[in-house]
Amino acid sequence: MIIPKLALRNLIGNGAKTWLNALVLSFSFVAIIWGQSIFEGMDKEMSKVTIDQEAAGGQYWAGVYDPYDPTSFDEAPAAIPADLSAEAAEGRAVPILIVPGTIYPKGRMMSVLLKGVDPGQSVLKLPFGSLKGGSGNIPGLVGTRTAKSAGLSKGDTVTVRWRDAAGTFDAADIEIVDIFQTQVQTVDVGQVWMPIQTLQEITGRSGQATIVTVPEGAAPKTYAGWAFQDHDVLLKDIKSFIQAKAMGFSIFYVTLMAMALLAIFNTQILSIWHRRREIGTMIALGMPRGRVIGLFTLEGSLLSILAAAVGAVYGLPLLIYMAKHGWVLPAGQADSFGLALNKALYPAYSLGLVIMTILIVLAATTVVSFLPTRKIATLKPTDALKGKWS
Amino acid sequence: MIRFLFKGLIRDRSRVLLPFLTVAIGVFLTVFMFGYIKGAEYQIIEFNADLLTGHVKIMTRGYAAEPESLPNDLALDGTDKLVAELRSDDPGMTWAPRIRFGGLLDVPDEYGETKSQGTVLGTAADILAPGSPEIHRLGLENTVVKGRLPQKPGEILVGEILADRLELEPGGTATLIGSTMNGSMATANFTVSGVVRYGVRALDRTGLVMDIADARTLLDMEDAAGEILGWRTDGPYEREHIEGLAARFNARPGADGGGEFAPVMRTIRDQSDMAAMLDQFGAVQGAVLGIFILAMSLVLWNAGLIGSLRRYGEIGVRLALGEPKGGVYRSMLAEAVMVGVLGTIAGTVLGLALSYYLQAHGINISGLMKNAAVMLPSHMRSRVTAGSYFIGFIPGLLSTLIGTAIAGRGIYKRSTASLFKELET
Amino acid sequence: MKSNFLKVPSRLGIGRPAVGFVILFLAAEALLAGLIAPEQTALSPAALLEKIDENAVPGNKIMVSSMTIHGRRGDRTVKSKSWIEGDDKAFTEYLEPPREKGIKMLKLGDQLWTYTPAADRVIGISGNMLRQSVMGSDLSYEDMMENRKWSTIYAAADDGTETVLDRPCRILKLTASVPDVAYEVRRIWVDESRFLVLKEERYGKSGRLLKTLEVGEVKQMEGRWVQTRALFRDVLKEGGGTEFIIESVDFEADIPEVLFSKASLRK
Repeated sequence: MIIPKLALRNLIGNGAKTWLNALVLSFSFVAIIWGQSIFEGMDKEMSKVTIDQEAAGGQYWAGVYDPYDPTSFDEAPAAIPADLSAEAAEGRAVPILIVPGTIYPKGRMMSVLLKGVDPGQSVLKLPFGSLKGGSGNIPGLVGTRTAKSAGLSKGDTVTVRWRDAAGTFDAADIEIVDIFQTQVQTVDVGQVWMPIQTLQEITGRSGQATIVTVPEGAAPKTYAGWAFQDHDVLLKDIKSFIQAKAMGFSIFYVTLMAMALLAIFNTQILSIWHRRREIGTMIALGMPRGRVIGLFTLEGSLLSILAAAVGAVYGLPLLIYMAKHGWVLPAGQADSFGLALNKALYPAYSLGLVIMTILIVLAATTVVSFLPTRKIATLKPTDALKGKWS
Repeated sequence: MIRFLFKGLIRDRSRVLLPFLTVAIGVFLTVFMFGYIKGAEYQIIEFNADLLTGHVKIMTRGYAAEPESLPNDLALDGTDKLVAELRSDDPGMTWAPRIRFGGLLDVPDEYGETKSQGTVLGTAADILAPGSPEIHRLGLENTVVKGRLPQKPGEILVGEILADRLELEPGGTATLIGSTMNGSMATANFTVSGVVRYGVRALDRTGLVMDIADARTLLDMEDAAGEILGWRTDGPYEREHIEGLAARFNARPGADGGGEFAPVMRTIRDQSDMAAMLDQFGAVQGAVLGIFILAMSLVLWNAGLIGSLRRYGEIGVRLALGEPKGGVYRSMLAEAVMVGVLGTIAGTVLGLALSYYLQAHGINISGLMKNAAVMLPSHMRSRVTAGSYFIGFIPGLLSTLIGTAIAGRGIYKRSTASLFKELET
Repeated sequence: MKSNFLKVPSRLGIGRPAVGFVILFLAAEALLAGLIAPEQTALSPAALLEKIDENAVPGNKIMVSSMTIHGRRGDRTVKSKSWIEGDDKAFTEYLEPPREKGIKMLKLGDQLWTYTPAADRVIGISGNMLRQSVMGSDLSYEDMMENRKWSTIYAAADDGTETVLDRPCRILKLTASVPDVAYEVRRIWVDESRFLVLKEERYGKSGRLLKTLEVGEVKQMEGRWVQTRALFRDVLKEGGGTEFIIESVDFEADIPEVLFSKASLRK
């Protein structure tokens, strides 16, 4: 036990220099964790917004529904299974009815998908609540991309035409009650959201839906005529993209690590050189060289732990603040017509990330701390005592 | 004096080697990181530009207003002349017409009657001309999983999921039904030369790639195209350069006329969400680089401190011999500059060498991914920019100098009494 | 980073097969509704509707017609010749423009096939495909595919009188009596003495006016009154509408039964 105690005492006793080193090292720590968390945050964000706004815990697709086959949309809607209907009534499922339609903004003709959703739903994080109430015209909600291509603004009225289940045409005016921003193109481009009850009524598809989205954690069940699509299907593209990106970012991680190790290596070399007399004394007094090497290696390792502690002092509040408020990206996106992605980027810290970082840094630090100490093995105590460094 | 110091540095390897190596490694890491992040940004831009947006894209005003619906009735006419003009206007750009269209692919059974049908999203580009860069731009070399690329007119590539659904194999024939530029029905038979896997569901489910000459014949679009994509060839993508180009084109004499058929130029940033995406990447890139350089500066600053502390004894001797404190301090700073400059140059050279290598060859990541043909760059590449040559000087020179300057202040604090004490040991 | 590193085109851009060509083929049929017109006395709305139906479904006829679509790229005129038997068999061959010459269509009941010389293929057209958007024209498949007699799917009521093309007309308001109709309500202006529809308005369930048909010219052919020119408009959209012209009709023509088979499409 004497060695760890001694190492710690040496470290603390070294005063300002130790703290300076720890500060530099801690900076690397915080930078590694922050940098890594930003990337992970970006990746998580990609999955998260898709889960929040579209996929949730998975979707049941009715019959022939295929999002990439417009010819399937007319045929697909089916009566919502009683179970799912009951779940929906309690807010544990969101039926969505999809009906092809045409909108006529300013006399132009644009094919859209009319999507009916319960304004009171809480599974998907999109502002469907704005579809509540309103009088006269059917309330409609569009994303910024659709708003842009159709030239629609909040409060505008646009004529929409559709065919009901029997094939009968009808048209009505929709009032755009709100315009939402989203990163998920597939809930925006070419789509007009409205209350599902209204859409069911006007299309004669009472009690029907095309997809039923269930919240995360819901166990998939089997319903005749409905196929459950889990995250493997709904998030496949995103997952393979993230996988590819993670590959690229591992290099970033390695480089940051190399930087931290450079700092430790440097410190260690100086430390050993600076304390050559102390080393000589210890060897002269009969301490085995192995223990001396152990002592110095441990000091280097402890420095990284100290650095972790120092980093925690200023890093934690910073990282917590970031996690809470996000990292607000600088403006300059005005030219993209409000298509801005989330204005703030939320870093994702997993306990695993922090522990992994600390462990990897600790292991690497130990190795790097050990390397310069090998010199001790060949050191002549007499020279060292004199301050010579042979 | 400088020569004297330099000789000292050369001759006393132990005094110099460690600081030099530290600076060199630190600068190397910085330059490499810089090139790597720039490479990532460059790849995002080039990837999207090659595949869909170009650095700039010319469409008619009407087409540009609703590009998602692929309104080929609003396609550009006289594209040969337009491309020729564009070429002569700016020799630093290359141009390629493309047509994207919706249609229906109908597969016949043995009696020639409809066996299966599927909706398709066609992309037509010049892929038959020998050595056409469009093959590479569309990533076709890496995505054909069955069969081969089209080699003659009448051959098409189809997405993997689509091929499965329609039971199409390379060598099979299918009838493509579309709508001509004028709204007439267009049909023609094609031979499937290969099946592509992009790894992106939308494309694998509906994607169809064909030569633009075939598409023009099919869609009655002789000398017309929905889009003309342009890429810069006399240098890398630069936002100002590209935006200037588009601004000049859109402000050319008579640009206001022509109604919805007037050609307009849109930059990559103007298209779908690219601006927001690039801005976000830019912000992240800036922050990451900033933090990295700051951290590296601290490391090298620390190294500067350490390097000076190590020479405590030597300085003591020099002061004891009567050298003025200011002189010692200045000579230390001069040495720091030399070490910093040499280390930075060495580190930059190494960093540039690796960056250039990775720019040319990249790190192959395709083998490391489960779906080998995912429509993403198969190689991670670095990118050497002008900044790569200078970025290393911030941590390499500046930080070393500041570190030494702070450590060197100790010289002024030393008392003669303690000097002799130090000399005793 | 946003969710699409790769910009995938929107789903809606996909799959807009051309179905405009179907229109001409079917439109000609609809235009012929109310062809024959012996002079009669005042009838009840229901009886009048039946009369219109009776005249709309005569025996065989061979007809040459053209359709002009006012598109964004300019006007386009398609000319075709149709052989029609009753209300559920029709064979059409396109004559102009050169690009479409030789395209043939066969309708048997609810089924539709097309033959194109370019591909030398007979392609079945599914209902799903026909429900897709119609290129540039003011019509949709539902506008024209209807071949049931109006008297079986609509209840008629008097809705006033008006003069159209210098002819006194009775206005009938037709309200759907079955669910699967394209238009819940139609108002038709009927030249009562000739049983010719000279004007029509089509409404949605909500009462919204969706489409209009205005006859521009009526001529006597082989002793019968025929609407020879009409303009069809989607009133929700700006644009010039789609124009039909019937150039000639041969009533009571001899049509070999073999024509209404898939084999004849290739001939």
